[in-house]
Amino acid sequence: MMSFMKKIQEKEKARQQEALREGNVRTPEGREAVTKDEVSRKILVVGKGETLDAEAIDYAVNLAERLGYDIIALSVNPTLGSKGRVFSPYKQLLREKFTQKAKAAGESLQKKLALKGINVEQLVKFGDVGQAVAEVNRQMKRIEFVITQDGVKETEVSGEINLPVFSITGYQGERTMAKAADSSRTKMIGKTVGLGLAAAALYAAVFLNTDTVMKYFTKGAWYAALPVATVFIFSFVHGAFASQFWSLMGIEATKKAQPRPTAAKRPVARKRPRPQLRIDT
Amino acid sequence: MHDVAAETVKFIDLNTANILFLVIVGFIGGLVSGFIGSGGAFVLTPGMMSLGVPGTVAVASNMCHKFPKAMVGAYKRFKYGQVDIKLGLVMAASAGGGVWVGINIQQWILNQWGEAGSNLYVSLSFVIILVVVGGYVFYDAWKTARTGGEEKVCALAQWLQSINLPPMMHFKTANIRISMWFTLPIGFATGMLAATIAVGGFIGVPGMIYVLGVSGLVASASELVIAFVMGFGGSIKWAMSGMVDIRLTLLILAGSLFGVQLGAIGTTYVKEHMIKVVMGSIMLIVAVSRALAIPTYLKDLELITVADSTNKTLMTASFLSMCFALGMGALIILGAMWRAKRAEAKEAAVALEKSYGKV
Repeated sequence: MMSFMKKIQEKEKARQQEALREGNVRTPEGREAVTKDEVSRKILVVGKGETLDAEAIDYAVNLAERLGYDIIALSVNPTLGSKGRVFSPYKQLLREKFTQKAKAAGESLQKKLALKGINVEQLVKFGDVGQAVAEVNRQMKRIEFVITQDGVKETEVSGEINLPVFSITGYQGERTMAKAADSSRTKMIGKTVGLGLAAAALYAAVFLNTDTVMKYFTKGAWYAALPVATVFIFSFVHGAFASQFWSLMGIEATKKAQPRPTAAKRPVARKRPRPQLRIDT
Repeated sequence: MHDVAAETVKFIDLNTANILFLVIVGFIGGLVSGFIGSGGAFVLTPGMMSLGVPGTVAVASNMCHKFPKAMVGAYKRFKYGQVDIKLGLVMAASAGGGVWVGINIQQWILNQWGEAGSNLYVSLSFVIILVVVGGYVFYDAWKTARTGGEEKVCALAQWLQSINLPPMMHFKTANIRISMWFTLPIGFATGMLAATIAVGGFIGVPGMIYVLGVSGLVASASELVIAFVMGFGGSIKWAMSGMVDIRLTLLILAGSLFGVQLGAIGTTYVKEHMIKVVMGSIMLIVAVSRALAIPTYLKDLELITVADSTNKTLMTASFLSMCFALGMGALIILGAMWRAKRAEAKEAAVALEKSYGKV
């Protein structure tokens, strides 16, 4: 009996050593080591402008948050590629400008997403989109899939790499945003004036009829509802007017001092042991 | 109640000077209460009385302006994430009991020693509470400012939070977990002080900061919720006896709704201990002001003799120092806002230069 046990143990040892020689570690400790220095999984978002579309970014951010992924934002400028003259100062300047704007946009995105615990890396490439994506895919580890924004065709990207590519289309968001920014000031003035007139009308209504008002408002008992309701109405209208007024004056809460939510904790990555082939002996 | 109303209520005539006074004091009072959670009432009530408004009408009209103001301020600060509604409501509930007890004590003293005795009691509680609490708030603010503006939870609050006495309550925005039994006395004292000197926040805010361990920002914002609930209840009670002069209320509101929002905006600019600085200095000056009024009441009780002229001077000085307290609070707030805004603009300019200067 004893000899049989020994035999099995020896066999197991030999098997393990063989596995080690082949670089195929099977021990639980070994597997642990592999998962620990795991590079985070990433989503690659590709666009052709300095800044990426809100739709594509929103979609990627939602996904990244749910999956615990990071984001790589890639701005590619095909027109400033290295075709033609090798050295052109004008092109160089355009390239610099493009890079600068893209990096600034990336930084602001990075700041926003830091609260959600998502890392953002902004990359800039010039030339063919497909080649740029392929390059990034070689440099960065663990890009899981690619999201292209409007203007980048799926076929442009997918030819060079072996990753799933999704495209997000739609101008709607950008258009409405641009419109809102243009007319916000006019709208604000209109709103302030409107509310101001409404508040003035309320005050006039009370102070032009003081005798009647005072007669009923001070009757007491159920007439108490009158002054209480009045101050509520006044505080809504006049309060909204005051609020608008300060906004119009440019006196608004600073974003700096507002209590910020601390960086959300990302769920601990679940260990997903890879299925391994094992031959029972 | 009706005959009482008919007897006492003599609603004043309004002239331009009166209107301006109410609007301006309303604005400054609103600014201070938007910032520290309460205040303004201690100048408005005596101020209105000096215009010839009967005491009860002054108190009633003032209270009727207090709750919409608190509501607007609380809403504004809620948007900045500073209000702990649950904390405010829990405190307000126990404050109700405090108000009831406070009014009964007042009434008892009024029956025993007459109006002068009541005034003396009010002034004495003013002086004692404001000197002790205001002094500590000011000392703490000064200490915080010296150590670089980092607010720390004091030892008492930490100890009380560690006691597990059910029912335990968790306040999300304030981020504390404490037994309900420790919130009750604070709310009760707030109500009692509100019934006595009309400014419950002088106990409520320091109580939340030093006993419950809430930050100054959240404490002063949640105080607005308490002020709303108490002011709403009080206003209904006063309005039912027909004491509210809606004209006065609306005039004060005209200024204070501007002020309260500016004060609320101000909290987002300044360092947190500024709230304590403003509160502490106002409390200490008001204490001095009330102390100046004590000899008059003692004379009314025939305990000491004071010359009439001295008496008058003292009362004037008392009222002026109250105005000074409020004005100084407003100046500190506006000054701090101004500095913070300028620093921010500078920072933004530097950042812009950095990002686009190279092109």
